[in-house]
Amino acid sequence: MLNEFLFTQILTELEDAVGVENCSVKEIDKLTHSVDYFWLSRMWADRGRQMPEADFVVSPKNAQEVSKVLKIANYYKLPVTTWGGGGGTQGGAIPVCGGIVLDTKRMNQIYEINTDGMYIECGAGAIYKHIEIAANEKGYATMHYPSSLTCSTVGGFLAHRGIGVVSTKYGKIDDMVLQMEIVLPNGDIIYTSPAPKHAAGPDLNQIFIGSEGTLGIITKAQIRIYEQPEVRRFRGFLFKDMSSAFKASKEILQKFKPSCMRLYDNAETASLIKKIVGVEKPGAFMNIAIEGVKELVDVEEKILLETFAKYGAEDLGSEYGEKWWQEKITFFYPGHMMDLPQCFGTMDTIAPFDKIEKIYWAMKNAIETKYPQARFIAHFSHWYEWGCMVYDRFIVDNPPEDPVEAMKLHNAIWNTGVRTAIANGGVVNDHHGVGIKLGRLMKEQYGPAMQVFEGLKDKLDPNHIMNPFKLGL
Amino acid sequence: MKKLEISEKARQQANSCRFCWMCRHVCPIGNATGQERNTARARALGVSVVDRGAEDLSVIVDNIYECTLCGACTNNCVTGWDPKIFIQEVKAEIALKGLLPEYVKTLVSNMQTTGNAYGLELDPAIGNILPVKKSDTLLVLGQDALYKSVDSVKGAVELMNKMHIDYTVDEDACNTGSALYFLLGKVGETVEAAKKAAEIFNEYKTVVIYDPVDLDLIKHEYKEWGIEVKTKVVAFHDFIKENLTALSLTKGEKAYSVQDNYAYARNLDDSETVRELVKTVGTNKEIFLNRKLANMAGSLLMDAYMHDVQVDVAKIRWQDAKNMDCHTLVTENPAEYEMLKLTQPEGYNVITLEMMLLENCK
Repeated sequence: MLNEFLFTQILTELEDAVGVENCSVKEIDKLTHSVDYFWLSRMWADRGRQMPEADFVVSPKNAQEVSKVLKIANYYKLPVTTWGGGGGTQGGAIPVCGGIVLDTKRMNQIYEINTDGMYIECGAGAIYKHIEIAANEKGYATMHYPSSLTCSTVGGFLAHRGIGVVSTKYGKIDDMVLQMEIVLPNGDIIYTSPAPKHAAGPDLNQIFIGSEGTLGIITKAQIRIYEQPEVRRFRGFLFKDMSSAFKASKEILQKFKPSCMRLYDNAETASLIKKIVGVEKPGAFMNIAIEGVKELVDVEEKILLETFAKYGAEDLGSEYGEKWWQEKITFFYPGHMMDLPQCFGTMDTIAPFDKIEKIYWAMKNAIETKYPQARFIAHFSHWYEWGCMVYDRFIVDNPPEDPVEAMKLHNAIWNTGVRTAIANGGVVNDHHGVGIKLGRLMKEQYGPAMQVFEGLKDKLDPNHIMNPFKLGL
Repeated sequence: MKKLEISEKARQQANSCRFCWMCRHVCPIGNATGQERNTARARALGVSVVDRGAEDLSVIVDNIYECTLCGACTNNCVTGWDPKIFIQEVKAEIALKGLLPEYVKTLVSNMQTTGNAYGLELDPAIGNILPVKKSDTLLVLGQDALYKSVDSVKGAVELMNKMHIDYTVDEDACNTGSALYFLLGKVGETVEAAKKAAEIFNEYKTVVIYDPVDLDLIKHEYKEWGIEVKTKVVAFHDFIKENLTALSLTKGEKAYSVQDNYAYARNLDDSETVRELVKTVGTNKEIFLNRKLANMAGSLLMDAYMHDVQVDVAKIRWQDAKNMDCHTLVTENPAEYEMLKLTQPEGYNVITLEMMLLENCK
């Protein structure tokens, strides 16, 4: 707790750094930066409890202003939590230790749409949908279409290694960025290499992508753009069981890359898919999108149908797939999505094909056995030639009313689920990040390898001011 | 214990929106300020936290008044939630609890003393050209046009004259209640103003509404408030369309780009009439975000207390136009016209619908 004198002193320095109008100590700004998409923060607010708030909310316009803020923060040893859109599910943007919230959204400039180099250079605070619109205006697309496309910023997606629905063809956010501008905790402004593939040492991009504001603040990025596909076709399938779906998908991925692949387990097919897409039959629904040059898509579609038929998949035609595409974000609107008072979480994990199905069954079994009050549903939504991720959810319809008890239950279920994933060859998280939610499990994931992250942290942020208690650092 | 005296419907909207981020990208204020509080979810969170007694109502007052009520968030919501509902109800509660901020009090006080929120007298340049003699047709210009947009009034009057329409402008009828509704929500004073306007309307056979924001209020809220308008109410662009043959128009190749007003496009589901009129004189060149998706270009009422932000709102719309090489914007709302004119970049131009028609009259 800062005394009034020191508080006012720091306030004047921050106002000097970013401008009076861009430095707030108003309760409304502190409140709106205290609750992100993390279930615990929402539950806490829902129960009338106050989430931890920042002392200061600053909105710098560029890297130079970010640098000034970080120098002040380092001098006074104030925590700095970076806030993009606040759409994260892991509590990564919550200022759990108070101090400064650095909101990036004034760094929303679109500096250049470079159709020769096929990238957009923009501020990290640009809302991703806005750069998608900018690309669309010129006839291009970013091909990064997560459900949070409209909610989150470029920097937010980079900070926690986000992913969109056409990732199988176009990649994850870490595949979609060329050069980045980053402000280090000491205020130095650095640039990563002009091209992302090189042999000039480890890839600086990949050190900061996924670092969740613990090692520095991304302030600018060159984001790849793509030509709009000539055609985008959908095909819905119904598999009798998931094993055959995995085999069929692995085989397809050795032949070509669809843009979108989503396999729903029987429980999610019977609930969400039935409700939103209209598939009534029992089984495991899978939607495939293939896109690009028409002649190539014709060939790919033929291979897809032949391959999936071998594994007994019922071809549902294009209607359900198109419906799914139209409604792909509908799933996440209130009224369609799980909501309070339910307790829920998405334990996304990733593994090679030889482990992923085992992980799914192990997690399902562990959670349903230990927490009979929880339902477990899943889909598999991002696929590679070597494996895929499982987007598995637990839902408790009637969690304890007491917020402390609700938190205990929530964390216990998470521990069970993620530890089961790790024990069976999965990773602590696939694309939602770690935040404060899963920080405690990072050491269990990495063991002595964690010292690599800790070494980077100690060197770059010796005062440990950057997003404390996130990422297990 | 619920602390806010709002309807269950409004409470339900707030509780649904408070943890949903899906519409953050469409808020014209949020896009201009970059502030987290300028999102529907932040406003809803504030309302829900106050309702739970965790914060005082005073904490959220300014944030409530930072909403334009443009409905971009409502339009974006696939579930059909409407943040405007709780925002308007909370405004009424703010007023009833005596928590109005000074800048709102000033505008309300102006309404009481001068009859318009801006506290202005009619510009002499238009005072002399308004037909006040009673006729069958009443043209309701609205307060934004009458007191803040000389160009809009001049254009509308000239076009009506060109169409040889015998019509009347009644200054009192221009206070439809829309300004008070924006400032105070549905309180007694708002409904009273609407009733008075309706009484004047009922003295005419036809009432032509110039500002779509007024038309939206008359078509929707008047009905809900039990205010009966017995006479025929027509949108200005529909009235023009009906009388188009009276104008000798020439069709050229000039490209015009419609700045869709939210009231027409989203609330009245009328985006095409203006485009039909554009096509009678030129070609229609679309801004990428058009019709229901159009970004609002500014509010004159909000300009009175957050000028810099309104300037930025208009500049963002100009950027939308520049991105698509749209050089001439056509507006139907005097507030958007004035804000776009104020921020007009070199090589670009904003005109009203009637100016567009007038420049193509033989």
